[in-house]
Amino acid sequence: MKRRQFLTHTSAALGSSLLPTLAAETLLKGRAEHVISIWLGGGMGQIDSFDPKRKGDPTKKLAGSYYESIPTAVKGVQLCEHLANLAPLMDRVTAVRTLHHDVIDEHAAATNRMHTGRPVSGTVTYPSLGSIISHERGAASDNAPPYVLIGYPNVTRGPGFLGAKAGYLYLTDTGRGPAGLSRPDGIMADRQTRREAMLSTLQENLPTTEDKRLRDYDAAIAQSLKLSGPDFTKAFRLDEEKGDLRTRYGGEFGQRCLLARRLVQRGVRFIEVSHNLNFLNGSGWDVHNTGIVKQHELLRELDTAVASLITDLEANRLLDKTLIVITTEFGRPPEFDSGGGRGHQGSAFTCVLAGGGLNHCGAYGETDELAKKIVNHPVSVPDFFATIHAAMGVDYTKNLYDGDRPVPITDNGVPIAELLAKSPRRAGEN
Amino acid sequence: MKRIYLKLTLLLGLAATTAAAPVARWDFGTEEPSKLESVGGVHRDVPGPRPPTYPDFDGNNTAAKFDGSGSHFVFADPGPNSEFDFTNGDAITLEAWVDIADLHRGENVYLIGKGRTETAGFAADNQNWALRLREQQGQACVSFLFATLPVSGVTKSDAHWHRWTSTEGFAPKSGWHHLAVTYRFGDPDSVRGWIDGKPLPGAWDMGGATGEPPVVDDDAIWIGSSKGGAAANSFRGALDEVAVHREVLSDEVLKKRFRREGAAPVAKLAQQVMPELGALPPGQVQVTFHEAMPTHERWLNEGETWPAAIMTWHTKQFLLPRLPLRYDDWGIREVWRSPMLVRLAADATLTPGKQRFLMRARALGRLWINGQLVARTEAMTKSPPDGEEPIIEVPSSLQPGVRPAAYFQQETFGEAEIPADGKCRIVLETIVGGTKLRAETSELCAAVQTADGWQLLAAGKPALRLTNIAVEPVLRTMEGSLQQFDDGNRRAAAKTQDVFWDQRHATAQAWAKANPPPPVPSDAPHPIDAFLAAKMNRALAEAAKTSLEEARKFHKEVLPVLRDECFRCHGDKMKGGLRLNSRAAALLAGESEKPAVVPGHADASELIARVLTSDEDERMPPQGAGLSAEKIAILKDWIQQGAPWPAAPVTAADVAAPPTLDDAAFLRRVSLDLVGVPPTEAELLSFLADQHPGKRTSAIERLLADERWADSWMPYWLDVLSENPALLNATLNSTGPFRWFIQDALRDHKPMDRFVTELLLMRGSPHTGGSAGFSLAGENDAPFATKGQIAAGAFLGVELQCARCHDSPYHSTMQKDLFALAAMLERKTVTVPKTSMVPAAFFEKKARESLIKATLKPGEPVRPAWPFAALTGQADDTSLDGLVLVPKDTRHRMAALMTAPQNTRFAQVMVNRIWRRYLGAGFVEPVGDWEGHASSHPELLGWLAHEFVAQGYDVKHVTKLILTSQTYQRQATGSNLIATSELRFFNAPECRRLTAEQVVDTLFAVSGQAMNTEEITFDPTGRRAEGARITLGKPSRAWMLASLTNERDRPSLSLPRAQCVTDVMEAFGWNGTRQSPRTDRETSPNVLQPGVLANSSLSLSLTRAAEHSALAELAVAAADPATLVRSIFQRFLSRPPAAVELDKFTKMLEVGFTERLLGAAEVKPTAELPPLPRVTWYNHLNPRATTITMEHEQRARSGPSPDPRLQAAWREVYEDFVWSVINTREFVWMP
Repeated sequence: MKRRQFLTHTSAALGSSLLPTLAAETLLKGRAEHVISIWLGGGMGQIDSFDPKRKGDPTKKLAGSYYESIPTAVKGVQLCEHLANLAPLMDRVTAVRTLHHDVIDEHAAATNRMHTGRPVSGTVTYPSLGSIISHERGAASDNAPPYVLIGYPNVTRGPGFLGAKAGYLYLTDTGRGPAGLSRPDGIMADRQTRREAMLSTLQENLPTTEDKRLRDYDAAIAQSLKLSGPDFTKAFRLDEEKGDLRTRYGGEFGQRCLLARRLVQRGVRFIEVSHNLNFLNGSGWDVHNTGIVKQHELLRELDTAVASLITDLEANRLLDKTLIVITTEFGRPPEFDSGGGRGHQGSAFTCVLAGGGLNHCGAYGETDELAKKIVNHPVSVPDFFATIHAAMGVDYTKNLYDGDRPVPITDNGVPIAELLAKSPRRAGEN
Repeated sequence: MKRIYLKLTLLLGLAATTAAAPVARWDFGTEEPSKLESVGGVHRDVPGPRPPTYPDFDGNNTAAKFDGSGSHFVFADPGPNSEFDFTNGDAITLEAWVDIADLHRGENVYLIGKGRTETAGFAADNQNWALRLREQQGQACVSFLFATLPVSGVTKSDAHWHRWTSTEGFAPKSGWHHLAVTYRFGDPDSVRGWIDGKPLPGAWDMGGATGEPPVVDDDAIWIGSSKGGAAANSFRGALDEVAVHREVLSDEVLKKRFRREGAAPVAKLAQQVMPELGALPPGQVQVTFHEAMPTHERWLNEGETWPAAIMTWHTKQFLLPRLPLRYDDWGIREVWRSPMLVRLAADATLTPGKQRFLMRARALGRLWINGQLVARTEAMTKSPPDGEEPIIEVPSSLQPGVRPAAYFQQETFGEAEIPADGKCRIVLETIVGGTKLRAETSELCAAVQTADGWQLLAAGKPALRLTNIAVEPVLRTMEGSLQQFDDGNRRAAAKTQDVFWDQRHATAQAWAKANPPPPVPSDAPHPIDAFLAAKMNRALAEAAKTSLEEARKFHKEVLPVLRDECFRCHGDKMKGGLRLNSRAAALLAGESEKPAVVPGHADASELIARVLTSDEDERMPPQGAGLSAEKIAILKDWIQQGAPWPAAPVTAADVAAPPTLDDAAFLRRVSLDLVGVPPTEAELLSFLADQHPGKRTSAIERLLADERWADSWMPYWLDVLSENPALLNATLNSTGPFRWFIQDALRDHKPMDRFVTELLLMRGSPHTGGSAGFSLAGENDAPFATKGQIAAGAFLGVELQCARCHDSPYHSTMQKDLFALAAMLERKTVTVPKTSMVPAAFFEKKARESLIKATLKPGEPVRPAWPFAALTGQADDTSLDGLVLVPKDTRHRMAALMTAPQNTRFAQVMVNRIWRRYLGAGFVEPVGDWEGHASSHPELLGWLAHEFVAQGYDVKHVTKLILTSQTYQRQATGSNLIATSELRFFNAPECRRLTAEQVVDTLFAVSGQAMNTEEITFDPTGRRAEGARITLGKPSRAWMLASLTNERDRPSLSLPRAQCVTDVMEAFGWNGTRQSPRTDRETSPNVLQPGVLANSSLSLSLTRAAEHSALAELAVAAADPATLVRSIFQRFLSRPPAAVELDKFTKMLEVGFTERLLGAAEVKPTAELPPLPRVTWYNHLNPRATTITMEHEQRARSGPSPDPRLQAAWREVYEDFVWSVINTREFVWMP
């Protein structure tokens, strides 16, 4: 079709009022400035955590929750008994109970889906949510990286076609800074000073250059020395925090959450915290067979850490501008497997939003009596991502570009409007 | 052959009313009356049930044998409502005779089934009916399966599968049995199962009983396998008389089916005796390799014979670290046909009397001495769990100092009486690999106990102690000798193809003669410099014709706007009938029929009208927010001034040649370029001392002949060809490790046309390094489209990425082009998958006509065709036949079309790629996407391409031409990459940063430490088939690493030592997960690059004066601080220190220099850390696995122990000096 004909055609068919209507539709826009994204690798069972139902019995193969339910600060919203610290805070939280997708056979594929919000494609390496937010908003400070991962590096968490600038720095141990920017053990200030003095000797002897590439590299050296210097690495000195606060956050996972708060304060835009410390039951949240026996310890660890994170952020007046997101690969069915554990379920599962200036309601969306089917308000993975973008003030309708190729920022996701509706701020914040 | 009492024909088409007549019966006689298509290893004519044991059969009755690898027969469904379609109310009887060779725990193997073939166009869960065998408690049980329509909302659950299985069965490997099931669909209680004429109890043991109808469609019937040929569902053994009936056969009929005389035949193990091997070569351990043993679980049964040796190798000890490589008849890596037998044999002399022996093997094995069975190891029969295996404790050493057994290896002992003369014949045998086991030996060995330990058995007298110190050097020598053996075998096999390639290259030469190259301009000593000078001179002459100011204004202000905003569609391409890349073109009108530019009248120029309009449908450029006011003003002003278009403002200064590199810098550059690491200190000093005028050319020749030349190219091809092996399950676009094919081709110096051909033919094993590994693309529903895209970009400079889903918006390539290539590779018509489409919402949202069009619909068939005849100059016609090995095969044809001499594009793309590697910019940019990108030097490119073809596609020849030019040897001050092709002169090469691999390899090389990472695998025990878990071995060069990601985020699955290396590589742009092809890595600097050099565990380890390291030895041996400083500069930076550097660093190292060595009494030997247990895929879910891995991580992070001889304070100054040298910009940038 020639363009002129096309124009006539569309005017006739759609009427001239359509374009203005589209343009006038206002974007939902929140006021969050940072994201702390908690990743529960293996697949958290919604029915044993944020979407509890009637109790089942693994010995009798009777489908249902593994634990008792308890009431929360939000009337009508219940949680599993092992989320007792979060229960009174649920007015700052929304458990989105109606997530769903169709990749449940392979952990890697589901991890990819929940980090990029899309099915894999043969020709495009999609960026992760963290990379997109970093790309759109940059770091909140010149002296901080935009995106830090507390967990293992992998391509799913990477920048895809957005390139290294939107990538993460990672660390696997809260006792240290990110790989490449934390000084190795044993290199104290005196040695570092000597090293840098020696380096200066060499640099002074280099011929001057006009080549931008070389000058940029020299600038990177300087920036790197700065970031690995005391200023930024102070963020990783958790021992600067009060002892009782550290205790309140709990074990290594809690310390990761505490570190995330410190990184927010330094200006890191997006922090992913992986809850992957498989000491407790070996398999983490992937509770097949006997893996489920110690699932309550994972839940309690999560509960302790996230509840502390919420109250700590609130105490620091950071909760309204810090969106906490809890995501996982998929959910788990109400039925028990032959070993008394649970398989995988994608038809309905829960991800959680907290803080970030959203209009929280404790829980959003409803599943059936066994948390197996969605009853109302389904939320697709793209919708969930669009909600996060909107909360961060990112235009969730825009395109990103893989070279020439336009790629919608989410796969046609629509934010959960209710969470973004205007609401009065609570007293005491800002 | 048939049953005597039955006339045996295929009774297709007979109505179900004919009692006792099956709808179909296959009896696998010598002539098959039905259209059975065999796929994979199906063998006809094996003996079926025969008299006297089965008296109802012919004496020469035959059956079909299936190897269990997915091999099967296909019988096409005749169409809708065929006799093979069953639904509610229909009665069915399925029957078959089976002789099971093997059935593993929990397996469900298909005898016959309709649907579930995973053929494109059908649902994966479309089982209409199936007769299967299911293993339960060691018994083969008869099982019936069908699927109903899935209930919506219960995605991927298995609730819609309905399986009935008999609770009793029979022992596998017990001769022929008759099986049957009868059923009436819709009536779950009607099901019955039969074995050997007896009805058996059973239960619906999956999905429950159902009255729902089965899924019915026109999918095919498969015999022997299912699910696309999944090995786990494939029958191993023989089948006969497979039949399908549309009625429930009566009890009477079924009871009579089975008649056997006597008891079930039981296979008996043959008596175990030491093999007769005749004379053995004296002084040698003869190692023979035998393929295709009947099973890995036992030795031979009576009546079975040893397979013949297909390979023989000789060594000295009873020690074998690995199998030799297996190649196909072209010398491309194959997989061993396992289970196989490895047999070591020699005549030896041992101490007389009773002696104690030790043998170690991973799997079934035995040690013979003089006919006596001395020791044995057990078969590997247990299938391992996915993570819950107990941690295996570190084996305690037999005695202090004795080399411990390898991980997961069996160690057994035995005694034998050695005769008085000490003469012994020793034979060590083991079975390697097997069903679901990789063919790997572990460190196979046998030893004899002596007074002070153990000695390896050997040809003649044992002389090698079984200690790490003694064995490790021998293992290194053996590896060298095995590699030579492999190289010899591979090259001998490859030689068989030389006749064809000699003829191809003769054709190429004849073509080159008939098509002479552009003439070399005659004013420089080197042709390359001559061509380059000619262009510069022309440009200077042109520029002299206009004023510099006018030319600068146009080229600095106006042209960039046109180029950035318009040329993508209106440059070399002609969207809307318009070009804007020359003055003459800009004055014309396109489809709008209004001239784009009217000189002197901006208001009359359509160009200005289009950038100004607010009409969404008219405005240019079509995407984005439109031109800035500033840019519009520039264009307006230019048109008002008469739209002048002067030649580029080139001055003599712009094209001045920078000085030539000094000798030291030249040697560093050329060494990094050709072998990937800088020169050694000795090489540098000898080169600097050499007074010979031709020494630079000699150095280039020496380095081109170096084995490491292959290493220098590996990273490049891995990226360009998107090699992406996954250590766990398949991930997006994961491939086989065809890195080994590439490395072999480079080491063997295969000409480029042959390399490309053998790649595209995808031969050998996909999982152990054959070019077949290129054929795989995980999680991709059109893998061959992806391969077509990769090949077109790599070898023809055609970008087809967009064409996967729609026609390319900025290219002329169509969706059809890509799928036609895919069809050529796949050798059949292909269909466009559903995912290869643009969501309708995309078009709906557009207010303006989209730039993209999808011209193919999902499911549309595309036939094999060559879309690039015009582009390449080579059409797919009979003129090609002489160049193709198998002219009828479209994949062969495509390989020849890509590489034929008439295809001038191929040679030019290759030459451009080579040029770019060494000069930092191509004649054509980008190198993988030529459309719309002019060559900066068409004559030189043509001349080099001609050389390339005439010299038999020899990359080294072209490389030598380039590297011997003056241009290459100049200082790197070039800015060709950012210049337009017109202004790209190559008066100097581009400044290049070392690649990730060069950085890492250099760090290891100059610090003199070995790359001691873990083996790159999660399965060091080989307990999964080659396709399920791979090992990439222990890397010795950076390119050998791979993505270590486990995507499960499980700390226990990390490989911390390898991670230390990949952390550095990733910072410098390496990516182990190569999901799409790329030539250019990101080169922009980021803080992590200097960061990892300053702070990473790798830099900490490699800058340490560690025990046994070259850095420590240098420090210990140094005569004085100045010598040490010089040495470090020469090793690390390939140059002597400047006076000021020498002075400063010498002064720092002088402090404490004479006291740096501790006295013998003060040296505290380094305490060795206790070994840790191993974590693998099989035990990684054990909570202890995480703790163990964290300890490994901690050790990796701590780095090696410092040399205890050096006084700590001085050593730290020395290490800080080394640290500063690797942290300077100079270390990571090419001179």
